[in-house]
Amino acid sequence: MTWGHSASFPRAILHVDGDCFFASVEIATNPHLRGKPVITGKERGIVSACTYDLKARGVKRGMKLHEARAIAPDAIVVPSDYETYSIFSERMYEIVRRYTSAVEEYSIDECFADLTGYRRVNKMSYEQMAQAIKRELQTELGLTFSLGLSATKVLAKIGSKWQKPDGLTVIRLADAPHFLKKKLVDDVWGIGHNTAAYLNSFDIQSAHDFAVKSEEWVRGNTAKPYLELWHELNGRVVLELATKKREGYQSISKTKTFTPPSRDSSFVFSQLSKNIENACIKARRWELAAPEIFFFLKTQDFKYHGFEIKLPHPTNVPHDVLREVTRFFSQVFKKGVAYRATGITLLKLQKAGDVQLDLFGKVQESEGLRLVFNSVDALSERYGKHVVFLGSSFSAMKFGAHLGERGDTPERTRELFKGESFRRRLSIPMLGEV
Amino acid sequence: MDTHVEPLQKFFRSKRRMPSFSELMKLWGYKTKSAVNYRVNALIEAGVIAKDSLGKLIPVQLEQGTRVLGLVEAGFPSAAEEELLDVMNFDEYLTPNKESTYILKVKGDSMKDAGICEGDMVIVERRSTVKPGQIVVAMIDGEFTMKYLRKRGALFYLEPANDRYKPMFPKNSFRVDAVVTAVVRKY
Repeated sequence: MTWGHSASFPRAILHVDGDCFFASVEIATNPHLRGKPVITGKERGIVSACTYDLKARGVKRGMKLHEARAIAPDAIVVPSDYETYSIFSERMYEIVRRYTSAVEEYSIDECFADLTGYRRVNKMSYEQMAQAIKRELQTELGLTFSLGLSATKVLAKIGSKWQKPDGLTVIRLADAPHFLKKKLVDDVWGIGHNTAAYLNSFDIQSAHDFAVKSEEWVRGNTAKPYLELWHELNGRVVLELATKKREGYQSISKTKTFTPPSRDSSFVFSQLSKNIENACIKARRWELAAPEIFFFLKTQDFKYHGFEIKLPHPTNVPHDVLREVTRFFSQVFKKGVAYRATGITLLKLQKAGDVQLDLFGKVQESEGLRLVFNSVDALSERYGKHVVFLGSSFSAMKFGAHLGERGDTPERTRELFKGESFRRRLSIPMLGEV
Repeated sequence: MDTHVEPLQKFFRSKRRMPSFSELMKLWGYKTKSAVNYRVNALIEAGVIAKDSLGKLIPVQLEQGTRVLGLVEAGFPSAAEEELLDVMNFDEYLTPNKESTYILKVKGDSMKDAGICEGDMVIVERRSTVKPGQIVVAMIDGEFTMKYLRKRGALFYLEPANDRYKPMFPKNSFRVDAVVTAVVRKY
């Protein structure tokens, strides 16, 4: 056997997918939930994730919590703990990186890894690497993962979905038709219902039907993304892994729903102000500035009312944003209407720093504020986020976003050790008391 | 030779690990892995680096390779990073295997003779193997607890470190979740 080329794996792409990740992390960090039906998303009022037994009983993602409770009264509903999910996510990437440096952090519970060429380095076959990664993930994180190993990202993704939960499916190139014949086109990553219906009209039912079409046919009858999928289904890599860490954002959005809904203009404004502060914190962390913004208020009947505003100069200082928002807020806010959410989007973000001076000295004024917010960021670094905040955000900061049950916070934010605070904790998941 | 050691040192200092072959290709500007391999062998020969049993690179005399402290007229050079290369921070000391590390809060006094008290933070690792004699966190007949893992014959059981408590023998279910590696207490 030569180490260089492999007919089964001209490329060896692995897809790793956490099984009902959020719910599994909750169970992994709370042994008392083991074997029980668990739902996360209490603070959102909808199902964010649920265990497999609940899925089998008909509970779905995005379902309202009271609907889910009607189906499964025994389900345990917990608030989402994104901090802990993120720590588990980082650990997942790090464990996969033990075997290859080419890892795409696709989402919080999924990643792709390119194992091509690592057989000699790891002294293992591709399949052994996949097995080792799965074993280490499950031992060290305490939850199950489903893995797919094949020649392209699209095929690897079919593999990881093939047997779920707790599966490892290897699709060698020669065996691919066998898998594709059993796979409906609308189950293929990147093919939506509309496209599937369109393909069905050409008598393409299975992924295999699509894969065996000629290149001319695909070019002639579908758009470019589907030509890429067609190549990938045939084992030719077109979609390379995006292994670079995120370097910035085009836009930053912050939205928060609050319950109960409010008719109080100063309360609604303070919610918006808090979102603006948060968006600016994120923009400053990435050293970005926004020349344009969009803000909106969402009414109780789920209608959005908003304004897009061009700022005098690009900024990441909340005062600059608030000044403009204040001018238009009264045009959007209607008396007697109940609002349930506010939101802000910083648009067309550009690198902070290369700003142009304006005629009226607004930029220089803002420059002074920028120094103030440098100190604010330094304080937050030391004492935790929101240790100081704007007066206009006060009533939003004073009360949590939700009164009542939805106001429950994750256990980790309440069970603290000496030296930890509500805002800043050790970046190690806690397994409770023992 | 130094032109190859220097990028390696820089990489090791910033990443705290040795580069892979493909990373070395970039680091040294080589086009093939065999060229990297040739240079790696030369460095192994020179005793600068070595390979472990898995074939991964490990540093041997990476720093001594080009130790340049400058001309010293009198006394010692300033305590620059040179002297601080062989130190670790508390993170590395307490949690050497970061991905498998978790914390728990202690309640009760059943382990007090092992020096673990109520309110302490214990650091544990999820591992595939555990040994008798280790302090473990386990689920025993539906109870989540921390005790010494003991073995009598083929039978595993849990033993507290406090005379007032009795050993626990599993009746229906027994599963060791993690091994205690440290106790942290702040005053």
